[in-house]
Amino acid sequence: MNTNKNLALNVTQNPSKLFSLLAKNWALFFLLILILIFSFTGKRFFQLANFQNIIHLSTTSLLLAAAETFVIITGGIDLSVGFMMGLSSVLSATIMQKMHAVNFLPALSISIGSIIALIVCIIAGLISGIMITKYRVPSFIATLGMGGIASGIALIMSEGFPVTFLPPYLTDIGNGYLIYIFPGKAISFFNKPEGITGKELKELIRIIPNSFIFIVIVLFILWHILKNTKFGQHTYAIGGSMVAAVRAGINTNRHLIIIYVLSSFLAGLAGVFNVFQTGIGNYTQFSSMYELLAIASVVIGGASLFGGKGRIIGSVIGVILISVIENGLQLSGVDPFYRFIAVGLILIAAIIIDQSFPDLF
Amino acid sequence: MDNITIKKNGLHELFLQLGNKWIFFFLLLEVIIFSIISPGFFSLNGIQTILNNSPSILLLGLAETFVIITGGIDLSVGFVMGFSSVVSAKLIVTFVGLGMNDALSIIIGIVITICIGIIPGFLNGILIGRYKVPALIATFSMLGITHGISELLIEGSAAKNLPALAGKIGNGSLINMVPGKTVSFFISPTIQRGEHLIEILPNMFVIAFIFVIFFAFILKSTKFGQHTYAIGGNIDAAIRAGIDVKNHIIKIYMLSSLFATIAGIIYMLRFVTGKADSGVMFLLDSIVAVVIGGASFYGGFGSVWKTVIGCFIILVLENGLRMLGFPTFYKLVLVGVILIFAVLVDQFSPELLHKED
Repeated sequence: MNTNKNLALNVTQNPSKLFSLLAKNWALFFLLILILIFSFTGKRFFQLANFQNIIHLSTTSLLLAAAETFVIITGGIDLSVGFMMGLSSVLSATIMQKMHAVNFLPALSISIGSIIALIVCIIAGLISGIMITKYRVPSFIATLGMGGIASGIALIMSEGFPVTFLPPYLTDIGNGYLIYIFPGKAISFFNKPEGITGKELKELIRIIPNSFIFIVIVLFILWHILKNTKFGQHTYAIGGSMVAAVRAGINTNRHLIIIYVLSSFLAGLAGVFNVFQTGIGNYTQFSSMYELLAIASVVIGGASLFGGKGRIIGSVIGVILISVIENGLQLSGVDPFYRFIAVGLILIAAIIIDQSFPDLF
Repeated sequence: MDNITIKKNGLHELFLQLGNKWIFFFLLLEVIIFSIISPGFFSLNGIQTILNNSPSILLLGLAETFVIITGGIDLSVGFVMGFSSVVSAKLIVTFVGLGMNDALSIIIGIVITICIGIIPGFLNGILIGRYKVPALIATFSMLGITHGISELLIEGSAAKNLPALAGKIGNGSLINMVPGKTVSFFISPTIQRGEHLIEILPNMFVIAFIFVIFFAFILKSTKFGQHTYAIGGNIDAAIRAGIDVKNHIIKIYMLSSLFATIAGIIYMLRFVTGKADSGVMFLLDSIVAVVIGGASFYGGFGSVWKTVIGCFIILVLENGLRMLGFPTFYKLVLVGVILIFAVLVDQFSPELLHKED
């Protein structure tokens, strides 16, 4: 009887191993299949410039998704990230604008604006965290309220318009590339080679956007924290079982407050980076739903809203998947509104795969 | 039990009553403050404006009340509302184009829209009830799908060329009076120059309110309502008690979509157009209204009438601020603060507040 069972297991081992690998990393495989399909259908899809573009445009989404990953692993949810990003963008831009108007050095006004915006975001996260832990407000509501407040303040500050007249060099940093190659003539780092104008600009090859370097560094740090440190292990422990975490001697209240501060900080970082990329301060519109897209990416990446599961790399794949769909559909000439439907369907697929193979993850 | 009876002495009792009904006092206080500081607020016109704006948030609040009592959440209501406004507008325009009578095409269009509008809820319910998908994710995917479909239907702009009759129904009032001359119901009379028309109770508010009354009754006094509370209170106990939880949850999400659909149709009638994002602003407001009304996201608590008070707290705030000349942004901040305040009140005296429900 026993040997029979073993035999049966052995026979099915190989195909099921492949299958489990596939099911486990379905998002990655799906991403590869999509890239393959779009390479045929999309005009100029499979090109270095386009891939750099995708990464460049998903920088803020990646930051928000990373923030959401930490919160979701603890079993909570942060609905304020999108609006916190808008607040940080508007606040930093406003400070830069004001300081620039009275002739401060650009570098000084840029750094002071960024730092103050980040500090404000940290304070907001602290308030959310204290409400969630000390006063037992459900994270959903506390962050929803905080999001409403942040969005209102951002709109009041910007009066409903983008904040402009910012110091120079902002977009040079945010939209710059590490390496510029002018075929057969010049190579330069960080700055465009001098003396190139007009038509020649088109031939300039740009490699590795600054935003890519920035996001890789940030994501690597976060990945390291979550995977290899005590802090990360405690995060998983809290999400797995709050009671067990308390019994194990983890200071859960302090830990959760730090998680929400981190989440707000990353959202603030996304806002500041948004200023660098666009050169203006943008408030978050109500219909943009950044936080929901971030949650969707995290869930596509294999996290569970019940807590205890989730990976930074998974979330990154989730974000890239959504960005590739968006970009690919656009380049394939499909109506842009199909992407909403596509994201919805993929999300449902993600959950159903997750539900169907509970022992895989 | 003992604890509660011991606590029942004079001052504490008063505090308990006040804590229990704080939203009502809050609304009253709001009305009084705005009446004093903004002159046009407490007038027939001011009240009429609030009632005019109320149907969407009332209906979406009603939808969220049912869903939140079962311990779920429905993020799709806003876009289901937009979806149904688009679908109904499209259908009516098509029917009119086929040479049908205006009134007939509006009626048939609305009926078909209601049938289509409950489909998203049905799918939500199946995903949540059968496949145990978290409500947040299932309804968010449905949000994306309905948003995409409605934008595709109207190709990114707004539906146009609806018959004028739709606007007449949507913007008419139940009672129209020209002082000293005529009184008419439903459709406003033609007025001569210099005459002043007084409108009381907008049609659309009346329709929304009929829904509210009917479903408040269903939630409070029928088996269906009791089962809803039971599922939210403790789903395992509900299953053991023999409630068909899966089907009940499907029904709840279908109801939620139904209310959102009605809200969308009302939007179409009022603004004589269909827009995909017509419900975006109301999603947050409706959830906030339900939470202000004392519902808990863990399920099992909530009442339709308290949600209605929550809705009016937001509506009065919005209208009052607008009349004072503040941009709407200030509303967001204040609503956020009220939301957190509401939850904190709940947290500090949970056993007192939910005792009555």
